Amino acid sequence: MGTYRMMSRTMPDIVVCVKQTVDVYQLKPHPETLAPQLSQAQWKNSDFDLNAVEEAVRIKEKSGGKVVVVSVGPEVKQLLVRECLAMGADEAYILSDPSLAQADGAATAKALAAVIKTASPKWDIILCGEASLDQNAYQTGPRLAEIFNVPHVSYVNKLEVGDRVLKAWRAVEDGVEVVSCSLPAVVTVGLEINTPRLPSLLMIRAAQKKPLKELSLNDVGLTKDDLMPRAETLEVKALKTERRRQVFEGKVEELAEKLAERIIAHMGGRR
Amino acid sequence: MKVLVAGEKPEQVITTANYAKSLNPAQVVAAAFKPFTENELAMLGGAGVEKLIHIPEKYLASGAAASAAALAELVKKLDPALVLIYASKKGVEICGRLAQRLDAAYASEAFAVEKGEKGFVAKRLVLGGGYVATVSLNSKPALASVKVSASETSQGMKPAVEEFDPGIDAPAVEVLETIKPEKTRVDLEKASLIVSVGRGFKKKEDLSLAEELAKLIGAEIGCSRPISGDLKWLEEERHIGLSGKRVRPNLYIALGISGQVQHLVGMRDSKTVIAVNIDPNAPMATESDYYFVADLYKILPLTIEILKKKLGS
Repeated sequence: MGTYRMMSRTMPDIVVCVKQTVDVYQLKPHPETLAPQLSQAQWKNSDFDLNAVEEAVRIKEKSGGKVVVVSVGPEVKQLLVRECLAMGADEAYILSDPSLAQADGAATAKALAAVIKTASPKWDIILCGEASLDQNAYQTGPRLAEIFNVPHVSYVNKLEVGDRVLKAWRAVEDGVEVVSCSLPAVVTVGLEINTPRLPSLLMIRAAQKKPLKELSLNDVGLTKDDLMPRAETLEVKALKTERRRQVFEGKVEELAEKLAERIIAHMGGRR
Repeated sequence: MKVLVAGEKPEQVITTANYAKSLNPAQVVAAAFKPFTENELAMLGGAGVEKLIHIPEKYLASGAAASAAALAELVKKLDPALVLIYASKKGVEICGRLAQRLDAAYASEAFAVEKGEKGFVAKRLVLGGGYVATVSLNSKPALASVKVSASETSQGMKPAVEEFDPGIDAPAVEVLETIKPEKTRVDLEKASLIVSVGRGFKKKEDLSLAEELAKLIGAEIGCSRPISGDLKWLEEERHIGLSGKRVRPNLYIALGISGQVQHLVGMRDSKTVIAVNIDPNAPMATESDYYFVADLYKILPLTIEILKKKLGS
């Protein structure tokens, strides 16, 4: 264990990749076309990415160092980036370009990597949510690790950062794998690793003064052609389920009777 | 058209190969890191695989980077039109790195892959699982990690087995220990009756109500993500939803589950859905065949008593 204990001299530079997505919980499909009504949707920071911000801030609180937030997308909203700064991140770099509206995993990773190379080239850890709320593709972390030719650990639900090394607990089908790798490394986290803090008014105010820089494609050495998706989305349509949708309300005694009947009718042969 | 199928475990390679058959490929080659038993080889042959390429297990053991590096070398050698990797958690992270390495079009966790006009077309769930995205993969090779279930399997001529060690280095991750789940494994994917619990339960002890019902009718217990994740009242392997199990029982009984899209995607293929929830407007209402608006704590004890009498136990 000794080697993995938090050591003050590590002072890691941490980059957190945060995606802004539509709030899928509020999203409604068009009644006829079944297409998602994106223009009416609210935007938010992708859930798991806030777990990544929280984890980065916790590492900083223990070991020192710096937390840099990076966000790329068709139209990155500063207000949402400020939320991450209010949680305790130190600075933020954003890249907005309309071509990223069609981005696949390859284009997203390419844009993020270019921003990271410009904004925080000497990073020790890149933290990402394991997947995004909208695409759920599980690609960004592994792709970034491949671009930078470093190890990555996905699906992490507990993380310890030591001196040039990390130890992580990751949830896979066979159980929890306890793994270790050298830094620099990419780590992707899920919902279970922590509960993201809700910033206080004081923290929100302090965040207004933190550096937030808008970069252009040119600033990071990219062209629109670089961001052409390799995988192209042709169509998105809501899933329709055919259900009877019978609703039972009323006295609980009667409901219990009906519930028991329905269970028996559909449970198949008795044990 | 040549298809390369791969997976973390032998049964996953067999499932993926069986799925690849639906594309009528001219040739299916399988790649695996783990050794196959004689029976598994026959199953792989039954799935139409002519050749199994065995990559030393050390690549899988040193993490996704090494696994992807080895597979990339194999892809360059074989030049397949399509690479399908079973979407286990490790399979998905390997495929992500592999796609980046090969600069190939990639769809993750696809539930279907078809031949399109230009190349291959993959279907996958997006936006919380409530929507299907159709994604065109116009590169050679095209890549998909596939979350497909085993179709009919049969035995066949055992494929030839070849060894392939590319001798390539990649950043390593060392596994120090694997902590197995404490409880005996449950196979929710194969369960025909499932009683599933959600945030409608206020305390862990209260789950005994659901457990009693499940025992009475011979059902397995499942849950929504907060129960296994945030609250840790049940094991992760009982989590049904987008990042958990996808189940298809004859009867799914949802107790105190509001029905967030992330959960619905895991239970949508159930034949019949009965739900109990105190909120008449919860999304689960439109995803149920029979929706009971009631307080779990009142209706369940009564229902259990009635079932005991009617089932004679």
